[in-house]
Amino acid sequence: MSRRAVLFWATALLLMGCGPTRLHVPGTLSPPPAPQPGRETLLRAGFARVDITPPPGVGLAGNGPEGAEARGYRLRLYARVLVLADGGGNRVALVVADLGLSSTLLHRRVAALTARTDGIGVDRLVIAVTHTHAGPGHYFEAAGYNDAGSSVLGYDPVMVDSLTARIARAVHAAVADLRPARVAWGSRAVWGETRIRSLPAILRNIPLPTAPADAPAGLPQEYGLVDPELAMLRVDLRDPASGAFRPAGAFSIFAMHGTGNAPSNDLLDPDIQGLVERRLERHIDGDLNRVTDGGFVPRAVYLFANGAEGDVSPAWPPQSRCDVPTLVPLPALAGPFTRSLWEWRSPTATHLASCRHAAREAITAIGKSLGDGAVALFDALGVALTDRLELGRAFATLALRDSARALGICSEPALGLSTLVGADDAHTRIQGWLLFGLFDVGLKQGSPNPDVPGCQAQKRQLFDAAFGGLPNHLFISGSLPSSAQVTVLRLGSRVIGAVPAEVTTTAGRRMREQMLASAREAGLPVSAALILGHANGYMEYVTTAEEYSAQYYEGGSTIYGPGEAAMFGRTLARLAASVSAGDSLPATAAPPLDLVVGHQRHVVPRRSASRVPPPRIERVWCSGGGDTLYAWLQLGVAAEWPVATGDVAAHARVEIVVDDATRTVVSWDDDPALEMRLRSRRGGLAWWEVRWSGASGGTYRVRIPGGAESEPVGCPMQ
Amino acid sequence: MAPSSTAAQLSARTDGSVEGRYVWHGISRAAGLVAQPSLALGLRVHRVSLEGGAVLHYELDGATAGELSETGAGGRHLGEADLWGRAMFVLGPTRLHAGIVRYVFRGDSTQGGLGPARNTTEVFASLSTTSRYLNPTLEAWWDVGRVRGAYLQASLDLPVLGWPFPPYAFVFVQGEMGLNVGQGPNPAQPGELANFATRGITHVGLGLGTEVRAGRLFGIGSTTLAFGARSQLNTDDATKFDGPGRSRDFVVWLWTGVTIVLGGDARSVQ
Repeated sequence: MSRRAVLFWATALLLMGCGPTRLHVPGTLSPPPAPQPGRETLLRAGFARVDITPPPGVGLAGNGPEGAEARGYRLRLYARVLVLADGGGNRVALVVADLGLSSTLLHRRVAALTARTDGIGVDRLVIAVTHTHAGPGHYFEAAGYNDAGSSVLGYDPVMVDSLTARIARAVHAAVADLRPARVAWGSRAVWGETRIRSLPAILRNIPLPTAPADAPAGLPQEYGLVDPELAMLRVDLRDPASGAFRPAGAFSIFAMHGTGNAPSNDLLDPDIQGLVERRLERHIDGDLNRVTDGGFVPRAVYLFANGAEGDVSPAWPPQSRCDVPTLVPLPALAGPFTRSLWEWRSPTATHLASCRHAAREAITAIGKSLGDGAVALFDALGVALTDRLELGRAFATLALRDSARALGICSEPALGLSTLVGADDAHTRIQGWLLFGLFDVGLKQGSPNPDVPGCQAQKRQLFDAAFGGLPNHLFISGSLPSSAQVTVLRLGSRVIGAVPAEVTTTAGRRMREQMLASAREAGLPVSAALILGHANGYMEYVTTAEEYSAQYYEGGSTIYGPGEAAMFGRTLARLAASVSAGDSLPATAAPPLDLVVGHQRHVVPRRSASRVPPPRIERVWCSGGGDTLYAWLQLGVAAEWPVATGDVAAHARVEIVVDDATRTVVSWDDDPALEMRLRSRRGGLAWWEVRWSGASGGTYRVRIPGGAESEPVGCPMQ
Repeated sequence: MAPSSTAAQLSARTDGSVEGRYVWHGISRAAGLVAQPSLALGLRVHRVSLEGGAVLHYELDGATAGELSETGAGGRHLGEADLWGRAMFVLGPTRLHAGIVRYVFRGDSTQGGLGPARNTTEVFASLSTTSRYLNPTLEAWWDVGRVRGAYLQASLDLPVLGWPFPPYAFVFVQGEMGLNVGQGPNPAQPGELANFATRGITHVGLGLGTEVRAGRLFGIGSTTLAFGARSQLNTDDATKFDGPGRSRDFVVWLWTGVTIVLGGDARSVQ
């Protein structure tokens, strides 16, 4: 072989090695259900919960370049599972995970396992996420989201495998928990905790959206145009010991971004949704079931899923949004003969602490309000319980690129510049950037380009003024998803459209109307339709055609163009008319997918010490003001997930106890006031800092259950 | 409150750059490829830093007679070695420097190079500030050795684009203008060396560069790769000088370099 040929092949191999990872992912449909004679009308349900908190080091996905590397965790991340089954053998599994984005890859991998173990394939499994922007990335189906979802880039198969194994095991546990059940559907309006973040875009819709008649008087327009519905399916299960039906959990849909945390947050956290879930779970355990053992993890399970939240933010105050890094010269020893370097300079630590604190206060207030609403609704549904809940499902996989013309969407996805600058919840560092400080290049929201021709008309794209659609074609469109999985569930009186996207309020309202009309036309006795967003995959936003023309963040992120909302409306209507129960779908419903998932990297830590010494508390002290307790401890090994198998631990990893004879536990590592931050990974071991901001003048000890306990430390209030 | 880290910060920087032309104060000193390795150390305590370093100027092309060179014809070696030290005071976005540079020339003056007779010392002060777009710097240089006199320079750094994901990449432009106010010929001291021919604007420069933050070094530093082009409009006979008998009003050259910074602000640099 000549030198030139060697050079050619070496270069080709190098380029292949540096290229994105490609996966061939089959779709495993559910096998035909096995009817259980004599139990046709018997509704059964089962719940499960699994810990999915990854170790520090992963990227917090959802805020693009402003998404930090996780340094630890605050509240733990869970995946909660509800399996519903009827006597005809029909099963539907609902999973709501404390993650940022849903994933077709994750959905199909889990379904491949649950189809075998529990008869639940892709068509009977819905994996939705809460959309917390403080969850890990690296498991998505498209390169664009793995490689640009946060400041930590890359696709990591270990993340996918770990989440898959944990969620599949939880589905299996919920199936094993199947018991006779009684359920009730209901809803209530929650006003004032959410708002439309892209008001000029929603006001482009025809007819003009208006606040419903029951909206409180005096509510600002952006607060009055949201969909305030908190929909809930309450589930009571028969207690095997007493035979009585006891409250067990619920499944809810409420439209709200998981963006309560400041974008600069660097801790894994389920955001407002996590507080709402825990509020109802503790209410069910403590107030309704009188569970007195005060377990570390609630027994009740509340799945708090997201609805059509595309343009809906939680009502965070402006001071909770931190400044972003700015581009400035780095004064790093630039002497008389060396030039200045450049850097993205972060805001000051004081500023970050201030805005993070404001965000945590807002999360607490919004979480309490929504949680109280959920508790009131759950309690009110206690009089409407029934043991009848007809189950049905329809499922389709849309080939977005290959069938674009038939679907009425653009054949090539494209990102708008407004996507790059971020939404109001988290503007990125390039928001408002002017070329040479003078020329507006469209790096802002609401900057449509009237000169863009074709299907993606109005969408201002990267460098399109100079190169048209070429940069998008060469560098962007291939990293975006090319398929979408859509599910319609019938759960009794509700049809639920599970959409792999973030649907805006108006687009969601239109889809619901189409779905409901179609279901009724097909003879289904349903009373309402719901949109379940962030389900079974992710293809960014879905706006109406009118909103798209405004090119706010949501419009710029409607990647297949202005026809998306109508396409999903038609698809959901078609599926709603074909909901079925005791059959098996044709293989064409879930064809294999070829996914380009991005650059494979070892993001999740791999290396740990081979020998694990007992946990050790190095040091405990209180802040000068007496309101914050700190501890340094060595706990576990470097690559360890906080809960090794995902099975929810019977006890916390770290507890704060009162220094008296009772040793009353006042906090543990699943408390909004307690932060677990990794200090270092020395010698393959994990060295943590615990920061508890709930100290109030007492004397406390830090305890590692089954391990060590610190000396008492006083936290006198100053 | 968590235990605080020490207030004093040590940092180190090493550069290796290759330029198509070595230009100092707008004056071309070598017209061929020049390698410029440098090392700097700094100690920062609160708002004040003390810094010092050394830079070497190696000519990689063997110059022939008549070509612009520090080493002189036939040389292919070290043409200049400089030492510098300075203090820096930081107040918000503004930085104030004051320092000294010792220039040591290693060329052969009999072969057209710059020999020890040119050795000299300059003191300098500079004021720079940063904003979202404009990063201006004003410098004042005073030769206290063989030239004696002042030279002023104003420069403006302007970021054009910044890639927000790692590896971070930046595109920037830099403009500069030199003003001779006292480094020209001294009629009272005819034997004294002069850097420029006349008082006034010496040159106007414009450059375009890009740098890529190639990687973090174990959490204590970073590596940066950079390359760019510079152009210069020469208005003084000294800046136009391009070798014996040759004069150029406008010059363009390319440069590239790698920089490693350890400690200090570089520990968390993005």
